[in-house]
Amino acid sequence: MKETSRREILKYGAALPLAMHSLDLHAVTKPKPVAPPRRIMFICNSLGFYKPNFFPSKRGDLSSSKYLKGMEKKEKMTVFENFFHPGMNTSNHDSEKSFLTGAASPEAPNFTNTISVDQVLAKQIGGDTRYPFLPLSIYDRGWGCSWNDRGVAIPPLHDEVQIFDKLFGEEDLAAKRRQILNDQQVVRCLYRDMEQLNKKGDNATKIDSYRTVIAELEQQLQHEAFWLKASKPVVPNTLSEDQEFAFCTKVKNLFELSKLAFQTDSTRVITFSMDWIYGAINVPGATGGWHTLSHHGGKREVLEKLSRIEMNLVEQLDTFLREMDEINEGSGTLLDHTTVVVGSNFGDSSNHTCHNLPTIVAGGGYRHQHHTVLENPTPLCNLYLELLHRHNVDVGHFGSSQQDMMLLKG
Amino acid sequence: MIKINSHPRFLLPLIGWQVCPFLICYLWSCFLLLGPISSAPAFDERPKQLFQKYCFDCHDDVTEEGGLDLKRLLEIRGFDGRLLFENLAVQKMPPADMDQPSANEKQAMLEWLASQQKERAPDSFGRMSRHEFVHSINDLLGTNLNLAEVIPDDRGTYDFESDRRIKLSREMLSAYFSVADEMLDFGFPPQGFPQEQLWLTNKLKDSHPSYDIYVRDYKDGILFSWTRANNGNSYSFFYDNFDPPAAGWYDLTFDTMKIGEFAEDISIQVHAGKYYFADDRPQPQRLLGVISVGNRELQARKLRVFLQPDESVSVHCYSKYTFRQKNGDQGAYIKQLQIRGPLQDQWPPTSFQKVFAGLPIKANPRKTIKVADIQTHLERIGGHLSVSSFQQGMEKEKMQDGSNRTFWHTQFTPTVAKPPHFVILENPRGVEIKGLSYSTWSGGNGNGQVKGYSVQFSDDGQTWETPIIKGVLETRLPNEQTILFPSKTSKRFIRFLVTDAVSLDGKSLASVGKLDVVVDQKNAAGLSQVSIATSAPDDLRQVMKRFSEKAFASELSEGELAPYVDVSLESLEKQGDFVKAARLGFKAMICSPRFLIRPGEYSNASYTKAAELARVLWLSVPDDELLRLSQSNQLSGKTLSDQIDRMLKDKKSERMIESFCDQWLNLRAWKKVTPSLKLYPGYDDLLNYYLPIEARSYLHHLIQENRPVTHLIDSDYSFLNQRLAQHYGLRGVVGQGIRRVTFSADVPRGGLLTMGAVLKVTTDGFDTSPILRGAWISRNIVGTPLSPPPENVKAIEPKSGDAVTLREQIEQHKSSDACYHCHKSIDPYGFALEGFDATGQYRTKYRVRKPHRGTFLFRLQGYYQLGKSVDTSGEIDQDQFEDVFGLKKILLSDHRKIAYNFAKKFFEYANGYKPSLQQRVVLLGMIQEKDDDCRMKDLVTRVLTYSLTGESR
Repeated sequence: MKETSRREILKYGAALPLAMHSLDLHAVTKPKPVAPPRRIMFICNSLGFYKPNFFPSKRGDLSSSKYLKGMEKKEKMTVFENFFHPGMNTSNHDSEKSFLTGAASPEAPNFTNTISVDQVLAKQIGGDTRYPFLPLSIYDRGWGCSWNDRGVAIPPLHDEVQIFDKLFGEEDLAAKRRQILNDQQVVRCLYRDMEQLNKKGDNATKIDSYRTVIAELEQQLQHEAFWLKASKPVVPNTLSEDQEFAFCTKVKNLFELSKLAFQTDSTRVITFSMDWIYGAINVPGATGGWHTLSHHGGKREVLEKLSRIEMNLVEQLDTFLREMDEINEGSGTLLDHTTVVVGSNFGDSSNHTCHNLPTIVAGGGYRHQHHTVLENPTPLCNLYLELLHRHNVDVGHFGSSQQDMMLLKG
Repeated sequence: MIKINSHPRFLLPLIGWQVCPFLICYLWSCFLLLGPISSAPAFDERPKQLFQKYCFDCHDDVTEEGGLDLKRLLEIRGFDGRLLFENLAVQKMPPADMDQPSANEKQAMLEWLASQQKERAPDSFGRMSRHEFVHSINDLLGTNLNLAEVIPDDRGTYDFESDRRIKLSREMLSAYFSVADEMLDFGFPPQGFPQEQLWLTNKLKDSHPSYDIYVRDYKDGILFSWTRANNGNSYSFFYDNFDPPAAGWYDLTFDTMKIGEFAEDISIQVHAGKYYFADDRPQPQRLLGVISVGNRELQARKLRVFLQPDESVSVHCYSKYTFRQKNGDQGAYIKQLQIRGPLQDQWPPTSFQKVFAGLPIKANPRKTIKVADIQTHLERIGGHLSVSSFQQGMEKEKMQDGSNRTFWHTQFTPTVAKPPHFVILENPRGVEIKGLSYSTWSGGNGNGQVKGYSVQFSDDGQTWETPIIKGVLETRLPNEQTILFPSKTSKRFIRFLVTDAVSLDGKSLASVGKLDVVVDQKNAAGLSQVSIATSAPDDLRQVMKRFSEKAFASELSEGELAPYVDVSLESLEKQGDFVKAARLGFKAMICSPRFLIRPGEYSNASYTKAAELARVLWLSVPDDELLRLSQSNQLSGKTLSDQIDRMLKDKKSERMIESFCDQWLNLRAWKKVTPSLKLYPGYDDLLNYYLPIEARSYLHHLIQENRPVTHLIDSDYSFLNQRLAQHYGLRGVVGQGIRRVTFSADVPRGGLLTMGAVLKVTTDGFDTSPILRGAWISRNIVGTPLSPPPENVKAIEPKSGDAVTLREQIEQHKSSDACYHCHKSIDPYGFALEGFDATGQYRTKYRVRKPHRGTFLFRLQGYYQLGKSVDTSGEIDQDQFEDVFGLKKILLSDHRKIAYNFAKKFFEYANGYKPSLQQRVVLLGMIQEKDDDCRMKDLVTRVLTYSLTGESR
C-alpha cells in the first residue's frame, strides 16, 4: 500500500482526501471513505431562452425540446414549467436582480434587495471550504445574482486567469500570513476608533453600517488564516484561449473552472450570472447583439440567430454536466453530489415578461422527472426553499415562497 | 450635504436602468400611482385654480385625457406629483397649442406641487467610490497609479457612482484594503526603489518575410506601415530587448520620421501588453499613447507611460496611405527606441517628501544604469552558450543576435554532424532561471527546425541529470515559444537537447533562430533604499497628525487620533522601522470609516465644504490651500466661489469631466461595443481612442470657458484632430493633437448630439436604433419625463442587416395609442440622428451587410451594399423638422429645458441623490431667461454652492 507522500500533503493540503478521491490519485489505495459533500450551482441566463425551443412540446419527453433533445444527461435532469417570481410585472431587465432573491419590484427607485439563496447556502455549507462561495459572471459589470443579507450586490469574478489563480495559483504563504496579520492590526485599530465615534452618538447608523462590514472582513481574515495551513490544490491549466468565439470561450472556461472548483472541493456553492452587453457576440453560425436579437418579435431570421446563441449555451451546459458525471466520487459521480439549477429572470425576454421561467434542475442525486409541468404558476422561491431544506438549512420560508412542494424526488 | 429639510425620494420612474431600445412604451398617466386614498384637506385655492385653468380642460373627470383625472388626483392627500411637476417644468404640459401659464403662475404651481410632496429623505451618507479612493490616495502619497479598475464596479444600475443607495460590501472593503496596500507598496516599497535604467532597442521580437507588408528593416531601424491583420485587428509589433523590470513610469523616446509624400501625419500607436505573436489574435492591449509624425527628419518623440512587469511595448502604425503595400516605402521610420525608467519625479521620491516633510530622509544617491545596447538575458546574467556542432556562417552567436532571420545550424557540409544535437547554456553565477525562450528561424525552407526537445541540468557540464522537461515545438511560426521549467533552477549547466527535427533531405540536422534563458528581471539592477533617519515617537505622531488632517479633512484631537498613532507606535516599538510603522497607520486611516464613508467627521463647517468640493471637483481630498482656509473656517461667500473657480481651473478637475462624461453621457459603456468591421471597416483603435476625448474636451471647454448652455445642443466648433476630422469628412486638419476646429454652416456637427462618441455609444455596433438614441437624448439631454414600458406590449425590433429600415417599423408605434403617447416624444430625436451611422459618420443611405465566404477577411471596402435612403425628418411637439439641423433649432428654442436637465444631472452627480421637487424649484430658479446669459460654469458653480450651503443667490 502506497503511503501518501509529504509532497502530496503539501500539494493538496487539507483537501487531500477529497483531492485523492476526485483526482483519482492512487486509484489502488482506498482512502477511508469520506461522505461526498453536497454542492450546488446556480446559473442565470439573464436573457432567457426562447420558450418554444426550450420547453418540450410533448409533455414529459425532453427529446421533444429543440434545445434539450441533444443533451446527454437527460436522465439526470428535470425541466420545470410554470415557475415565476411574483411582483415582476414591470421589472424588465431589473428582474435579474431578483433571480435568486425573489424580492418584488426590483425596478422601484427605492428598491433594496434581500439575501440571495446562494448566500444563505454559503453561510450554511461554505465554511468548510477555502472559498465559501464562488460568484462568476461573463462581463465586468460588478453585480450578478448574489446579494448579501443587507441586499448589497456581491461583485462576481469574470477574469478566468484571475479565477484560476485564485483557486489554484501558487501563493507566497509567508507574505500572505504577514498580510493577514497586518490587516488584523488595522481592523483592531478601526474598532477602537469606531468605539469613540459611536460615543459621539449622532452618527450611529453610519458607523454601525461600517462596523457590520468590517466584522465580516474580520471573519474572512480568520477564514483565510485558517486556510493558510493547507496548500491549494494543483491542477493543470485546462482553460481555452480560442479568441475566434470569445464569448463561447468565456462561458466554456467558467464552466471548466466551476468543475475544477467542485472537483477539488475548493468551494461548494457557485453562482454563474450570464450577463450581457449591447455589443455583438460571435458564436458558431451567428454574430449579433445578443440583447438586440433577444427582442426577436417572432421574426424567423432573428430567431434563427438567437437560437444559435441559446443552443450554444445549452451545448456548453451539456458538456459541463457530462464532464461532471464522468468524475467518480464515492458511490456516484461529482454530478450526483452537485445540484445544478439553470434558469432565467425572464420568461420571455422579447416582451420582457417574467412568467413561466425556464428552469432546469440537474444532478444532485435526485430521481429526476425529465419534465414537470406545474399546474399553477408557482413561486420559484418554493423550489429555492426546497433546495435549502435539502441542504439542511432549516428555514420556514425564503423570499416569496409559500411552501416546500417536495418537487425533487429521491 | 444639502441644508434643505425636505429631501427627494427619487425622480419619476425614468426609463429602466438599461434603456431597452425597443420597449419604451406606454402612457405616462399610468404612473401617477396613488398613495393611500384619503379625503383631502382644504388647500390653498389659488394654485388649484391655476391647475383648473390650464389643465382641467383635458384632464378632468369627463375628458380624462391619457387616463388622467387631475381634478380627482389633486384632492388626494399625498398624491404623487413628480411626473406632473416635471411635465410642467419642462413645458411638456400644457401642450404647446393650449393656453400657457405665465412665469409667475407656473412658479406658483410648481411650488405648490413641491409643497404637497412627502419625499423620503435620501440616505445621510454614502460610501466613497473606487475612483475617489484611488485619486485620493494618489494625491495623499504623490503617486500616480491607475488602479480603479482593479476594484469592482459597485455602481450597479444606478446612474451615478456617487449614489448614496450604493452600500459598502465586504468584497468592496476587502478590495479597498488590498489596493491600499498596493499603493502604499508603490510609494514606500519595502525592498527599496528599483534603480533607473536606460535601454536602447531597434529590434522587434518577430520578424518574418511575410510581415514585410507591415514592417521591414529600413536604414538603421524599422519602417512601420499600417498594419491591420486579416481579421481586422491592429497588428502591433513588440520591441525586443526590453521588458520592464518593475511596475512604474517609463519614458519612451522614439527617434522617428515620416516617410511618404502626402500631407497628413502618420500615427504611431504605442501599446503595452503581454507579448503575443503577430499571427495570433491579439490579447487585450492598452493603448498608451499616440505619436503623430509629420516631420521628415528624425526627431526624438517622447511618451511617459506606466508599465507593468509582465508587459512589453508594441507599436502599431496608422496612416490611410500605407495599408499593406508589398513594396511600400511609406510609413513611420523608427530608428530606435530609448526607454528610461522606472522614473521618480524627484529624489528622494515624492511620496517620502510628501508624508515625511521636515524629517531627515536618508536616500542613496540615484544614478541611471545603462543597459548594454542589445543584450540577451543570458548575456545579462553573465552566461554563454556552446553547441554540439555548427555550420560555417550559422554559428551559435546567431541564436543570440536578436534576429530570427539568422540562425544556428548544425554542421551539414562537408560532413553531416551526427546526433545528439544540442545547445548548452552556461550559468556561471548561478542565477535563478525560470525557463528557456525559443524561436524558429524564418525566411528559409525550414530544414532542421526543432520539433522535439528535452532539457537537462548538470553541475559540471559532464554528467547530466534525467530530463527535467520534454516537449514539442511549433515549427512553422517565428514566434517566441517559452519553455518553463517545473521550478526555477540555478544549476550551472542547462542542456537543450534536440530530440526531433524537420528533415527535408533525410539527414540529421538541427537549427534554431533564437535561444535565450527566461529570468526574473525584477530588481536585477538593484534597489535604492530610502529611509527616515529618526525613530522618535514624537516624529511619528507628527506624521500621523499631518496625514490625518489631509485624509480626513479635519483636525483630530489627540484622543481621536490615538488608535492610529498607537497602532504605528506599537509597530515602531516592535520592529523599529519608522516607515513601516507609519505605513500601518496610513493604511488604517485610508481604510477607516472616517475616510471611506462620506460625509466624514469634520471639525468645522469649512472642512465639510472643503471635503465635498474636493470630492466633487477632483474626486479627491482637499489640497493644502483648502485645508488652510478650512482651519480658520473661512470657506464661505466669495472665498468659497473663488475656490470653486480655482479648483475648476486646476488640472485635477479633468477627473470630474471624465467621471461626469462616463456617467452622464454613459461613456463608461464605451469599451463594450465594437462596431462591426463588415459594415464599418474604417473604424479602428485610433478612432476609438480619440472619440471620447472629443466629448470630454468639449465639455471641459464649455465649463472652463463658461460657454452658453445652448452649446450642449449646438455650436460651430468642436475639438478634433486629424483622425476625427477624417472621420467627419473635414479637410485640412493635420496632426493628432486635439485642437479647436470651427465648422462651416453646412457641417452637421457641433454640440453633443452629433458627436461621434455619443452616436456610437447609443448603438449595438451594427445597426442604429432611433429608439435607443431617442431615449438617450430624452433622458440625458432634454430630460423628457418618461415611464418604463409596461408589461405585455409587443416589442418592435430592428431587422438586422436587411433593407427594411427600422424607422418603417417604428412607425408602427403610431398604430398603437399606448405606444405612441410616449414614443412621440422619444423616437423623433432618433429619427434626426439616423443621418449618422453606428460610428457617428454622416450617411444618406443605409449600409446593408453582404455575406462573406468562409472566414472573415478584413478589407477596406467592407462587406456591404448601399440600401435605402435615410429619412431624417420628424415631428416633435408639433414642430416639424427635416434633419438634425432642424431638430437642433427646435431644441434650442427652449434653452431652459436643457439647462434644467443639466442642473439636475450635475446636482445628482454631486450629491448622490436626485433633487427633491423643492430643490428642483430652486434649480429652475438658477436658469436665466435669456439663453445667452445661461452659462455652463455659472450653472455648475451655482449648483455646487447651493449643494454646499443651501444658498441659491
